[in-house]
Amino acid sequence: MTTQTQLLRFDPQAARRRASVTGWLVRAVFLLPVLALVLWVPHHSDDWTNDAVFAAIYAMVGLSMNVLVGYTGQISLGQQAFLGLGALTAANVVHTGYNAPDPFTFALGMVAAVGVAAGAALLLGAIALRIRGLYLALVTLVFGSVTADAVFTISSLNGHDAGVSAYRPTAFQSDYGYYLFALAMVAVCVYVDVCVRRSKVGRGLIALRDNELVASAFGINVLGYKLLGFVLSGAMAGLAGGVFAFWSQEFSDKDFTAAAGFNKALIFVVMVVVGGLGNRTGVIAAAAFFALVDPLLAGLAHHTGWLSFYTDHKQYISNLIGAGLLLQTVIFNPGGLGQVLRPFTRWFAGHPLSFHDEHGDAAAAALAGGSNVRA
Amino acid sequence: MSVLEVRNLTIRFGGLTAIDDLSLRVDEWEIVGLMGPNGAGKTTAFNCITGFYKAGAGHVYYRGDDVTALPPHRKAALGIGRTFQNVGMVKSETVLENLLTAQHTKTGYGPLRALVGAGAVRRREKELAAHADVILELLGLTQFRDRPLGSLSYGTLKLLELGCALASDPDLLLLDEPSSGMGPEEAHELGDRLLALRHELGLTMLLIEHHVPLVAAVCDYVYVLNFGRLLAEGAPDDVRNHPEVVAAYLGGEAPEALAVTEEEAS
Repeated sequence: MTTQTQLLRFDPQAARRRASVTGWLVRAVFLLPVLALVLWVPHHSDDWTNDAVFAAIYAMVGLSMNVLVGYTGQISLGQQAFLGLGALTAANVVHTGYNAPDPFTFALGMVAAVGVAAGAALLLGAIALRIRGLYLALVTLVFGSVTADAVFTISSLNGHDAGVSAYRPTAFQSDYGYYLFALAMVAVCVYVDVCVRRSKVGRGLIALRDNELVASAFGINVLGYKLLGFVLSGAMAGLAGGVFAFWSQEFSDKDFTAAAGFNKALIFVVMVVVGGLGNRTGVIAAAAFFALVDPLLAGLAHHTGWLSFYTDHKQYISNLIGAGLLLQTVIFNPGGLGQVLRPFTRWFAGHPLSFHDEHGDAAAAALAGGSNVRA
Repeated sequence: MSVLEVRNLTIRFGGLTAIDDLSLRVDEWEIVGLMGPNGAGKTTAFNCITGFYKAGAGHVYYRGDDVTALPPHRKAALGIGRTFQNVGMVKSETVLENLLTAQHTKTGYGPLRALVGAGAVRRREKELAAHADVILELLGLTQFRDRPLGSLSYGTLKLLELGCALASDPDLLLLDEPSSGMGPEEAHELGDRLLALRHELGLTMLLIEHHVPLVAAVCDYVYVLNFGRLLAEGAPDDVRNHPEVVAAYLGGEAPEALAVTEEEAS
């Protein structure tokens, strides 16, 4: 005990000390470029709005993966199925031909998208309850591809292979207007994530991720909370699917079946790991990056005269970038992008700027399995 | 009425009988020790009492109710707290977060209200944090409040684990080798602490313990297991000199073994 006390450098009072008024003003100034990037830049052109909406949709999927993989510690290689189910449900509920839906039908479509995806996630969760590791990965993989190939190809649900139209309500007719709606939906997901993390729900999920025996000794209903993790994750992905359907204004099964679907599932896993498991900011940043890397590279290639080369090899290049980032994260930076950003996010939250963050480092090490605490 | 009563408990793993017809009882305010050599089935008995293993035969009663078939989280909610042989906590979280997690059954709000971020949840969270601070103060661990578990020594972790078990206001506490990884001095301190806790919080305890002086200092009654069977029971001093107990610990025939210890003692 005495040696512990002597070694102690930590001052809890200092950690809880928040910034002064000037401090907050400085932070607000530094927040401006971020706001400009999120709100002003997408306004520049239709192409940029398009890219930004995809970034928002990916951010929602990232947050949904974060709940399941980051907090609950369950792997999902079939997350594209929830996204697709959300899109399919929203499009089929709203299905109004060539007319814009009224706000009520639109809202109903979004709610149904969330509900159906959450229901499917409950089903997957019930199957996945008592299996883990490699077998869980396989089950979710099969779930994803079976849902896509069996449900999405039902002819009466996908507009007889021609796609189901899903027009936007008049309020979100403009692309930028719809982008703001998508941002609001991201905000909803972030809010839920914050509520999860600051209550017994998040603590329960993290406890069962670390050690199911300890979690149940703490009185946590492990099976119930695991299901809750699946349902929350499915609901967020379903919401993203609804946003996706009204963005492309149609549901097409081609976006989610076969290679296109599997490619999405892989990117979703890679982005949550690269972003940092359990780290909200990191996951959102990584999701936006993976949504934007293709248009950004295409733009770069266009300006440097490599456009034809890039479009010919697009698939390889983006996969290579994903694989490279994944390896880099797993080997050198298990906390992911979130760990790198953590000093800044903590600073924005009012803490002093510090690059030595014991908790973050230790949590990252524990996630990577390098902790000396046994359980 | 006894707080905990185990009647004719039997657990088999395949052909191995880990616990054979074990009966024991723990009365209100008692500290009862469960001893025995390695592999005697002490932890198995714990796991069965707390619901991690299913009993092959026999019953577990908690304050007169048959709780044999309840899952672990339901037993924890009833007020049966436990610690693990190796530290059982959420290793990726801080000390404070562990103490909050440990109060899971006392939050008083449901998951749905938590998800919409109701004001009541935030108020309750503040109270939980305040209670966690009280526990830290009680155990003298306040200085570690915001530290990750990875940076703490094993002895501190064991103490914190006790704190986590206390955080949920248990009525019955099952401690699996609370003094492991502690030196004789720390173990002595732990004994005083357990007695103080019983006095202040009105706890009833069942503990697995190898450290004989600690058992002698705190336990009112001791059960000794060997190969899953109850070998002896009684007051700590009686059990310590019980020939079969000495034989079980040291091997060989009872009288010889006893002679050896007497030689050592003299």
